[in-house]
Amino acid sequence: MHRRKLLLSALGATAALGLTLTACGSGDGSDQPIAQVSGGTAAKPIVTLDSPMEKPDLSLTDSDGKPYDLLEKTKGHPTLIYFGYTNCPDVCPTTMANIAVAVKQLPAAERSDLRVVFVTSDPERDTPAQLKKWLGGINKDFIGLTGPFNKIQQAARSVNIGIEAPVKKKNGDVVSTHGAQVLLSSPKDDKIHWMGMQEATSDNYTAALPQIIKGQNP
Amino acid sequence: MTRRTTPRARLAPVSRRIAIGSAFALTAGLALAGCGGGDGKPQLSVSGAYMPQPVTQDMAGAYFVIKNDGATADKLTSVTSDLSKDISIHKTTGNKMEQVDSLPVPAGGQLTLSAGGNHLMFMGLTRKPTAGQKVTVELHFATADPVKVEVPVKPADYRPQK
Repeated sequence: MHRRKLLLSALGATAALGLTLTACGSGDGSDQPIAQVSGGTAAKPIVTLDSPMEKPDLSLTDSDGKPYDLLEKTKGHPTLIYFGYTNCPDVCPTTMANIAVAVKQLPAAERSDLRVVFVTSDPERDTPAQLKKWLGGINKDFIGLTGPFNKIQQAARSVNIGIEAPVKKKNGDVVSTHGAQVLLSSPKDDKIHWMGMQEATSDNYTAALPQIIKGQNP
Repeated sequence: MTRRTTPRARLAPVSRRIAIGSAFALTAGLALAGCGGGDGKPQLSVSGAYMPQPVTQDMAGAYFVIKNDGATADKLTSVTSDLSKDISIHKTTGNKMEQVDSLPVPAGGQLTLSAGGNHLMFMGLTRKPTAGQKVTVELHFATADPVKVEVPVKPADYRPQK
């Protein structure tokens, strides 16, 4: 019964995003203002938001164990933010790999201007050292952040990303969640104007990043 | 007079599955009931297998489609490989992934493992496979004989053509 409730609330969180992401994501989550997305939702892998969102105000610990103030460190830089966890064989590494492939193709100056921030949704297991090791296998310039789960969840909520505290089942298996979208902010106003959907491929990011880095719609 | 009540053969597997009491017991039960005849074996074939090149040697995922041309449903119950001693089967609900004991392969249907959905999870790899290599896995089923699959390792951002 308890587990069922958890699953239902997971579905609710997905529905609250109001975006058709998965086959099971339909519902009528109406307790949160949903992100307004222009054009078709499911069809576009990287969507432009009608109403840009503030970047989440997050002060966490980076993969070197040093304090990292997201707003301060990414101010004036085009920024990609993704909530996920490293103990994930499926969507998280694929999403980060897609971004890494696109980033690799940028000119060096743009590459160093860009901030790619991976915020863990499973801070208990994702220590700074674990983040460093995992991101090192993707792109060592990517920033990994960890800290208290409540803080991370709250920040994710502020940008309409639903994540839940990892749940340890009786058999020791941990059930974790990752955010479904990548948030992309403009260097012009430091606001989130775009969302990369789970379906977005490395080609989609490769095509979109050069514009986004300039603060233009892809 | 010619009207028959539910045949005995159909009831037996259904009630057995209810006893298991899991979520897909129901779907598996329905699939069995739907196709009636219980003597045809599951006929399984695997296609579209791939493993994205893993980030670290800690873990990897893999995907494929199992088609069942037989008239009997089956279940993928376990997977073995020399790549890892700890291979589990996962399903994804919303954006939450969870380990399960088995996944149903419906009669006349298919079981799809794909990015963002059902997948295999390999933990503690014996080596770190790189794109271009192959990983041999053996799929084990409740009814059908094991199936050996050569899984090609693809670049981390690989996406199969739909």
